Formats: sequence, structure tokens, C-alpha cells
Amino acid sequence: MSAAADLSVDLGGIALRNPVLTASGTFGYGTEFSPFLDLRTLGGFVTKSLTLLPRAGNYPPRIAETPAGMLNAIGLENVGVEVFVREKLPVIPEDVPVIASVFGTEAAEYAEVLKRLSGVPKVAGFEINASCPHVKSGGIEFGQAPELLVQLVRAVRRATPQPLLIKLSPNVTSIAEMARICEGEGANALSLINTLQALDVNLETRRLVLKNGLGGLSGPAIRPVALRMVYQAARAVRIPICGIGGISSAEDALKFLLCGATAVQLGTINYLNPAAAAEIVDGIAAYLVRAGCSRVRDLIGALES
Amino acid sequence: MSRGGVPLRAAAEVLSNQPAGGCNWRLLLRVPGWPGARPGQFAMLSPGARAACERWDPLLPRPMAIYRERAYSAETEIEILYKVTGRGTALLAEARVDQSVGVVGPLGRSFPLPAAGEDALLVGGGTGIASLYALASLSVQRGPTAVFLGARAAEDLMGLDDFRAIPELRVEVATEDGGAGERGLVTQPFERALASSPRAAVYACGPTPMMRAVAESAAKAGQRCFVSLENSMACGFGVCLGCAVPQRDGVFSLVCREGPVFAADAVDWSGLA
Repeated sequence: MSAAADLSVDLGGIALRNPVLTASGTFGYGTEFSPFLDLRTLGGFVTKSLTLLPRAGNYPPRIAETPAGMLNAIGLENVGVEVFVREKLPVIPEDVPVIASVFGTEAAEYAEVLKRLSGVPKVAGFEINASCPHVKSGGIEFGQAPELLVQLVRAVRRATPQPLLIKLSPNVTSIAEMARICEGEGANALSLINTLQALDVNLETRRLVLKNGLGGLSGPAIRPVALRMVYQAARAVRIPICGIGGISSAEDALKFLLCGATAVQLGTINYLNPAAAAEIVDGIAAYLVRAGCSRVRDLIGALES
Repeated sequence: MSRGGVPLRAAAEVLSNQPAGGCNWRLLLRVPGWPGARPGQFAMLSPGARAACERWDPLLPRPMAIYRERAYSAETEIEILYKVTGRGTALLAEARVDQSVGVVGPLGRSFPLPAAGEDALLVGGGTGIASLYALASLSVQRGPTAVFLGARAAEDLMGLDDFRAIPELRVEVATEDGGAGERGLVTQPFERALASSPRAAVYACGPTPMMRAVAESAAKAGQRCFVSLENSMACGFGVCLGCAVPQRDGVFSLVCREGPVFAADAVDWSGLA
């Protein structure tokens, strides 16, 4: 019998026991999944995006099913950074790397949230949400305009010495350009992709389905687009990449690693199968044994030419 | 309004899946380790049987009321009454015996039971009827209980014979086409019963206009009222935040976590579809 493979990876200074994380906005504050999953099986999890003050989110309808995917326009509903630190963080089990997702309507708000969270125990690093596609201001504006992204990454880099991931929008002309900006301004890693801007129409009412109008498309439908963008970003920068977009199985996760991702995040699949993360970790381990590969990190970017 | 046991995720064996009048179907599932549901709780069901080859379209599980359950030592059978309304439920209707359906549950908060001295008045419309059977069967053990069931036509009345088989339960029926019971809306027989009840706990599940009318009548009569809301949701356990509904106090509540049962006076009816 072969020995268990080494699943550990280093994501921009965050040591992960395996490369499977759960994506911001799809995993609550962690403990919602405790009935279905031992959180310690995760490589780590990314919190719901935190803002300086609590946010109520958008007026419903907020979600809609689409072919092999879904639209959402939640509007960054969250408890705010203070309540997160006081009430949510203490109940997360020890030994689960928590990456705090941070959002602001301007660069200064991002920096303030980061300062509040810096040095707080259990928080292993930060993911800057520079790509939320369904709020009135902030988010995607930073992720779509190169000059704004420079300013944002510079500001958040100054605000914390801890590992910093920048979550990029797919709604751009050149993902490579945005990736290089983040690397140039000192980001430790990239997360991509956030949802694709999308909408749907209700023929009965002749209205847009979501109250917000625009939403973000996620789920298996976007996976090949995400894989392409990870592939392109990985060729543009040296910092590690966390691949996100419709990953629903170990096979999907492995494809992202081969295209250059150091780790992956699971999003929409958590809704359908709240135990998906544990199953995907097991599936990756089984693949490594089958492939005679002793370390998962040897697969990163290991596409044959 | 309380929660049952810790929810689980299971592959549930299909024991039977039969047409039940109109577009309604009756699904019986064996769920190993099922912790037991309280009246008004729900489960998320995969849209159709779990396929040998993974299928991502339609993608999302469907919230379904737990109609009835029967516990044997380590196993429980749960019964779901559902209506074929779209692709997901059409695929569910194709699930055959010995296939399995993905289940996550029990989820949400249950109906509070009537207090001593209260008449229980239950009003169900359309598919909302399925949320009331478990409550009716418990409520009759505590005091006088009446259920008012309404639908467009007789064939749409879910589970009518089951309700009639509950001892001591008063069952009244209204259909819009007059095919069964009183012709018209189910709120008519309910209003009459409410008028003759000095102290009642009122429960409603069905179309929003029906629940709103029931809630307003109960409020006028000074009786407490609980409604079970429906909404589309992706997860069912409080993380997708897709099922938010506005409340009177201006905040949003999640139907899956704070509901599906709400005190009727907390609901912002103008904000519901």
C-alpha cells in the first residue's frame, strides 16, 4: 500500500494542509457547515466579505437558477467586522486557517477593515474583494479599472503586513494585466475568478429577474472560463493563484492545479452538497496515489506542452 | 418556533413515487439516521434522482415541506407531497424506486404548538397544505383543531384523505370551481370558524394573498397567527442568503433559517411576491 500523498501547499505565505478552500459568500462564517463537515478537513475557508459596518444586502429577489449555474445579487450582506471578531471568529474551531474577505466602497474603508483584523488570532490572511459585481459602488470598479486597482492594492498593502490575496473580476479585457498590477503592488497571491456579470429576464412580468437587475453568474457553467483565466494569469505572474469558478469535483480541482493554481476555492457546490470540500480533498488524495505522485504541489502548473 | 435535530445530508432511497391527483406527486423516502423533523420543517431535495453520471442542470436543490414521517429503529421514512411546476420537480417525478434522491434536512424553524385552551385553526392552500399535516396530527392531541384546505379544483387538494383520517380533526374544504366542498376561497370557512372561536392559534401556508388575508383576519380578531413562507433558495441552511424576505422592522430575514415559520405580524406583506 502506498503512503498517503502530501497535500500541503503554501498560498502566498499561508500554509495550507491541503489545497481545498471554500469561497467567500458561499460558506457563511464557517460554523453553518458544522453539521455536514468537519471544518478541520478544509485547507481553509474564506469568510463572507466583511465591511466596516454591517450591511443589510439587496432587496429580493436575490438569486435565480440558470443553466448549470445561478445568478446572485446578495449585495454583500454581512455582520460587519466588529461582530465578526466578537461573535463569529471565536466559535470557529482552532486549526482552521481563516482568510478574511474584505470589502469597502473606497480604498480607505478596505484599509480600515484590514487594520481592525490585523493580528487577530485565527486570521491567517486576507482576500481583498475587488470584484463584487452587484453593489452600487466599490468592488468591481476597482477590479475593472487598472488605475483604480493600482491604488487599491497599494492602500491595502500598506494596511497590513499579513498575507494578502486579491480577488479578481473576470469582467475585464486582460486578466494578465490585472494580475501583473497586483503582483507589482506587493500582493502575495491572487484569487480568481469572481462571478461573471449576468442577468435574466422574466417573460411573465417582462422584468429583470433580480431586483438588482445585474447579478453574478456562478456554478459549473462558468468553469471553463475560470480555467482559461487561471491559465492566463498563471503565465503572467509568479505569485500563487487560488483558482475559483464552478469547481464541483476533485477532477475539476486538479485541472485548475495543472493550469497553474496553487489551491482552489469551492463556491456554489457548497450549496448543493455541503460536504463537497471533504469529498474533493479525498478525491485529490486518491488521484495522487493512483498517479504515483507523492506531493500535490508537483502538479501545480504541470500541464504537458 | 424551534428547530428539530441536527440536520444531515443523505442519499435517500426512493420507496415509492406516485401521482397524487392533478399535478401532485407523493414521494416516500428512506433516510438512514434521519433525526426527526418538527411540524413545519423542510428539507432540500435534489432536482431528480442522483444520476450515475453527475448532472448539473438543473443545478439547485428544491425546498420541500416534510409532510409526514414514520420512524423505525434506526431508519425513518419521510413522505413529501410535491407539485410538478417546472424542470426540477418534473425530474423528481421521474425518480424510480431503488434510485436515490439527495436530501439535506430537517431545516428551518417549526410551528409553535397551540397553548392549552386555544383552538387551532389551520389554513392551507395549494401546495401549502403539505406543510400542515404534521402540525394537524400533533395539534389534535392538545385541543380542538380544525383544518381548512383550499385549491383550484378537487384534484389539486393534496392529502385530503390523510387529513380526514386524523381522529378528532375537523376538516373543511373549499375549491374555486366548487368541485369539492364549498365553492370559493378557503378563507371563507376559516373566517366563520375564527368568528366563533374565543381563543385561537391560527396557522397558514399557501399563496401569499391567502396567507395575508388569514393574517389580517387573525390580527383583527386579536388571535395569534403563524405563517410558513415559501421562497427560492440555493442552500436551505443560511449561507446563500438568497431567500431573504423583508420584515416589518425593515430588516431582512432568511426564510430558511429564521423561518419558514414566522409570526404573521412580523411579515412585511407588501414586500412579498
